[in-house]
Amino acid sequence: MAAEDVTVLESPPNMAALFARAALTARGRSGDLPGTRLARRGVTVDAGNLAGYARVCGFPLGDTLPPTYPHMLAFPLQMALMSDRAFPLALPGLVHVRNTIDVVRPIGAGESLDLEVWAERFASHRSGATVDLCASVSAGGAEVWRSRSTYLARGAKAPAGAPEADVTVAVGDLERSVATWRIPDDAGRRYAAVSGDVNPIHLSGLTAKAFGFKRAIAHGMWVKARVLGALANRLPESFAVDVGFRKPLFLPSTVTLATAQAGGGWDAAVRNAKSGTEHLVGTIRPL
Amino acid sequence: MASNSKPATRKAAIVGGNRIPFARSNSTYAQASNQDMLTATLDGLVARFGLQGKEVGEVVAGAVLKHARDFNLTRESVLGSKLAPSTPAYDVQQACGTGLEAAILVANKIALGQIESGIAGGVDTTSDAPLAVSDDLRRVLISLNNAKSVQDRLKAIARIRPGMIAPEIPRNSEPRTGLAMGEHAQLTAHEWEIGREEQDELTVRSHSNMAAAYDQGFFDDLVTPFLGLSRDQNLRPDSSLEKLAKLKPVFDKALPEGAEATMTAGNSTPLTDGASAVLLASDEWAAEQGLPVLAHLVDAQTAAVDYVHGGEGLLMAPVYAVPRMLARNGLSLQDFDFYEIHEAFASTVLATMKAWEDPAYCKEKLGLDAPLGSIDRSKLNVHGSSLAAGHPFAATGGRIVASLAKTLHQAGPGKRGLISICAAGGQGVVAILES
Repeated sequence: MAAEDVTVLESPPNMAALFARAALTARGRSGDLPGTRLARRGVTVDAGNLAGYARVCGFPLGDTLPPTYPHMLAFPLQMALMSDRAFPLALPGLVHVRNTIDVVRPIGAGESLDLEVWAERFASHRSGATVDLCASVSAGGAEVWRSRSTYLARGAKAPAGAPEADVTVAVGDLERSVATWRIPDDAGRRYAAVSGDVNPIHLSGLTAKAFGFKRAIAHGMWVKARVLGALANRLPESFAVDVGFRKPLFLPSTVTLATAQAGGGWDAAVRNAKSGTEHLVGTIRPL
Repeated sequence: MASNSKPATRKAAIVGGNRIPFARSNSTYAQASNQDMLTATLDGLVARFGLQGKEVGEVVAGAVLKHARDFNLTRESVLGSKLAPSTPAYDVQQACGTGLEAAILVANKIALGQIESGIAGGVDTTSDAPLAVSDDLRRVLISLNNAKSVQDRLKAIARIRPGMIAPEIPRNSEPRTGLAMGEHAQLTAHEWEIGREEQDELTVRSHSNMAAAYDQGFFDDLVTPFLGLSRDQNLRPDSSLEKLAKLKPVFDKALPEGAEATMTAGNSTPLTDGASAVLLASDEWAAEQGLPVLAHLVDAQTAAVDYVHGGEGLLMAPVYAVPRMLARNGLSLQDFDFYEIHEAFASTVLATMKAWEDPAYCKEKLGLDAPLGSIDRSKLNVHGSSLAAGHPFAATGGRIVASLAKTLHQAGPGKRGLISICAAGGQGVVAILES
């Protein structure tokens, strides 16, 4: 990517305003992915926000960032990219179907970080099209963390010649659930408060209905964070965590976590405690 | 009753310690829970001694201020740490004596051959403190929970009064006397005629000793930075008699008419957040792991006093515990190279030493033929103590045990140190370490 395609932002964009812009400009989008990259330089983590995030996601508070925390820094930039008129897909209705994070090394809470986000892999899917929102986080010039979020736009069409979407996350047998989580109906609001992800589908039954969901649904990245929080002290130093978000997790719900050691890391699944409906399956492997 | 002779057992070794810097209340660690701090402290100890994924015999720790949900605080911290999840753990609580008592419990199991290694620790936060609903409201809520019919529920709800809603904030006061610990200590200071200036002098020495120890790197292998803090936040290297003299006395409420209040925020420990842990082991286990032995825990003793009706000072129990332990070991008070007397308040340390020097008190209260005598002040709290570091109640014992063990080790083999810690409820915990 040419250097002139990178736009450096001085401060994180306002997420509520981005959601509003994205909703108002949803119609009539088309075309290919923009080549724009958005970046921020010398970002430091706010200690209060980190403590709140750790509490909501079940991570211990310490001097190392939770493996999902850099997403808090990158997501607002990805939102800015997706809400921009040049982005070919309408943000309302995009469904997060897969998320991969590589923790290259543990990141200290006091480190100065450089972020860069971009969109790529516009792909066709049996029920629409997918796009990947990527992020790279560096410290002192070396990449320490990267992520890839795959979003599905139902009914959308990828450009001619687009590759097939890759949304499969395969896990081994996960028959033994190790924990039961009672997830309260305000889980979406609590995560929104620390993440700034105020997507209405997570906030209340009423706002979720407006977007076609029968009840509010949990943030996928929160469920992923809870899985990693449950394994926090048993994770490799450097690892890749790849999860597929299956059926929406409606709030409130009682779900189970199943884990099994696999490939030097873990396989995990989050399922509805009664019906067994799969909400998340994931793999954690050493890098 | 204290036993008069010691059975033949092995002595537990102190391998080393780790703590996080202590922070002033509602400051840097305001968002950290007891479990966060204890887990971080255990992980620091694990990293220091290569215990990743290893099982130790037992982890014993506690907190004085504890949420109801933290009933299994130590085990939960172990499960969140890098120690093997098969490591057993349990909680103890003996007020400010918790940390030292935990070390004694671990050392005793090692001495009896029941375990080969163990970790003793303690943690406290006065920032993330538990709030309780008032007792009246609690009773209503329990009957509401037990109510079977709508009518019963309404009846229960109708019993709620606006005055019940205010939460109960934990207070640093004695339930039976209603006095703050500082007010008790001020009464004792008055009784023993402990002056303001000698308290301030002891305070300055604590700060300057600890600042010098940090500058010399003494704490490099005892402290792991946490949440951006790398030294104890309460430490004032530039503390001086002039500055301390300007502070207004507090804790004067219980003093008799006309008595001079001498205790200030400077010569008393502040409310503090922090955690500490100590690794103990048999000599054989330490050798197998290739780990050092800094010192051994030779003996320990607890005592308690009747501070409610008996006229004794709340924090005077260690004064009773020490002579019993000395007699059992055939030692005199002067047979030590270092003394660690916990500085709950500067006046507590001074009253403790004055009592041991007083022939009448030693005879009448302690039942001794002769006073224990005086302590060489240059051997007292040589790397600073709680006045400088702060005092997260249950974490103080672990701080002292690890620091003293290292001090003795540096001084060479055969050196002896005495630990004396006073605790709420009129209790005291004391111990002897030897290199």
